[in-house]
Amino acid sequence: MKICFLLHNAYGIGGTITTTFNLAQALAERHEVEIVSVLRHRKQPNFVLDPRVSLRPLVDLRQERQHALHLRPARVFPRAEYRYGQYSELTDRRIRECLATTDADVVIGTRPGLNVHLALEAPPHVARIGQEHLTLDNHSPRLRGALRRAYRRLDVLTTVTEADARVYRRKMRLPGVRVEALPNSVPDPVLPAADNSAKVVVAAGRLVPVKRYDLLIEAFSVVAAAHQDWQLRIYGKGEEHDRLQKLVAELGLWNNVFLMGAAAPMEAEWVKGSIGAAASNFEPFGMTIVEAMRCGLPVVSTDCPHGPGEIIEDGVDGRLVPVGDRDALGAALLELVGDDERRRRAGRAARENARRFAPGPVVAQAEDLLAAAVAARRSGRRVARDRARAHQVAISQGFAARDAALTAASTVRRTIRRTRG
Amino acid sequence: MNTAPSASCTATPDGSITFDLPLPPAQGHQLLLRLRPGKGQPERTLHTLDLEPTDNGRVRAVLGPAPLLEEGRWDVFLLRGGDAPRQRLRPGLRDLRALVDGHLRDREPPLAVRIPYVTTNGCLAIRAWLRPAHAEADGVDVTERTTTVGARLHGTSRRTGAVVRLRLRGGGGVVHTVQPRAGDDGRAFSFTLDHAELVAATGAASGVWDVFVQPAADAPLVRVARLLDDVADRKNVFVYPRIGVDGAVLRPYYTVDNDLSVEVKRPG
Repeated sequence: MKICFLLHNAYGIGGTITTTFNLAQALAERHEVEIVSVLRHRKQPNFVLDPRVSLRPLVDLRQERQHALHLRPARVFPRAEYRYGQYSELTDRRIRECLATTDADVVIGTRPGLNVHLALEAPPHVARIGQEHLTLDNHSPRLRGALRRAYRRLDVLTTVTEADARVYRRKMRLPGVRVEALPNSVPDPVLPAADNSAKVVVAAGRLVPVKRYDLLIEAFSVVAAAHQDWQLRIYGKGEEHDRLQKLVAELGLWNNVFLMGAAAPMEAEWVKGSIGAAASNFEPFGMTIVEAMRCGLPVVSTDCPHGPGEIIEDGVDGRLVPVGDRDALGAALLELVGDDERRRRAGRAARENARRFAPGPVVAQAEDLLAAAVAARRSGRRVARDRARAHQVAISQGFAARDAALTAASTVRRTIRRTRG
Repeated sequence: MNTAPSASCTATPDGSITFDLPLPPAQGHQLLLRLRPGKGQPERTLHTLDLEPTDNGRVRAVLGPAPLLEEGRWDVFLLRGGDAPRQRLRPGLRDLRALVDGHLRDREPPLAVRIPYVTTNGCLAIRAWLRPAHAEADGVDVTERTTTVGARLHGTSRRTGAVVRLRLRGGGGVVHTVQPRAGDDGRAFSFTLDHAELVAATGAASGVWDVFVQPAADAPLVRVARLLDDVADRKNVFVYPRIGVDGAVLRPYYTVDNDLSVEVKRPG
């Protein structure tokens, strides 16, 4: 197969870029793979890309930032998409040309706005795979409305969790579209796994409010009180840094809790720890949880939508605690800190159980999906047979009507604000 | 920089570092360690390590416990032999897990510590400390009125007449002395700084006090520092609270060399 990924900006840093590179490189073992980056703002990508994968930018911001068409708003890329401000008539046009002239058998969109382009503009013989790296419930009603109209023209829609796939099937009726969870993959670790003897708990991610590092630090105070020789190391940088540092001071935890700064790759830092921790309110997937587990760390996490609950088996390879529950988070950490044998056992289970996120199984599943979509296009069938019952249709119509009402209400609010202003 | 090879490294508890490079074995290839000279100074101190082939078709060099690396920052280069220019190395994975609990192992003199790290411009380097004796700071307990530091001596032990001396930086020999309390054995001790006393001793301007211990009446001063783990640059990671005292702000902190100091800052 010839496979093309449509990516917002391959030259930045982020989960979608990492996971797209991983998947593209793995597919390149057996297929011809290209990544089309809508935007480019620097010479080299931050991550080194396998030379077998070709990379083609569509709009080079280093020269075209002031292009007349780039100053005019986009019309195909949906207005309600988070990245709308970075798209333009120029991106509309380049993406359309790229799709019209592609010689790929299958094109994979990697964010909602690009999936819309793909759904509306790919030639009839090209299979269309939309990938969602966020979640449906996290999109605005207006964006959900736009996606509801466009996504029917996709062949396959992948989410990163089963839970989100179920939400799509329930709230967005997409007849003929195969909706399936395709988790992110994490490459095989290079270093020997942690032996779970180090008195260190490790967390990693951007220091932003949704990650709730404040909750994790508060929860860790019960661990530090009972086990003075244990540390919590938080890797990452972000807007919350100073507030978290202040919290550490207020709680008197400066001998136990450390904001380590950013580390990439994290592997050598995970293996210094014995337990991984995550306290997010929302986590579409939970890449760091899988990374930690693949390095042999049991992970204590909040059971937030949607990732952690599909990665961690509570009580076996980690712990799941209610979102926002400091005491439960502290108690779950304390349980593993205080019991060496239990921690080692959970660490071994984590390493074993996280193998399902290795590139091998994930890539095999992706290959099956791509092949099914390509075969269906060639034979003029839809990928999924529509088996929706009347009540399921009614449910999804209900959600569509509610999103439309919410969108109309927000339009009215905006109009009123404008009139008053 | 983009063409420079990357080197992963593994540290062992005795301070050895194994460098692993994804290069085919070749005659005459070596690693060069160079003590970074001061601005405008010539390079004085160099060590070379032979690169040996490994079972998996790569090359490897081992920096054993000897030689003793002089204190400072050591840059790592690849030498390809002949006239080929030396090349800085990019950092691969640095497996430093063996260093994390290094403060639990008692050291013999001289104290030699090496931590591989990544420089601000993204190259592999080694941070080295070499001291006749060392006092490793452990817990630092800061309250409104006092700061109490727990520490452990390495390469020496506490005898009669031991004192803790804080030396005012640039203060022409001004020293503030406090009495240490004995710990569980001849190596462990702690001491308490009274914030008001220290602020009064600083005088009218701002000042920085460098913390030393004198393990016996006639012994040389030993710097109190925190060197025995995997953290090469501690200043912005191990952060103690600031305390307002008599119009000044006092703060224990680690210097760029991971030594313990106390800053007393006056407004204006």
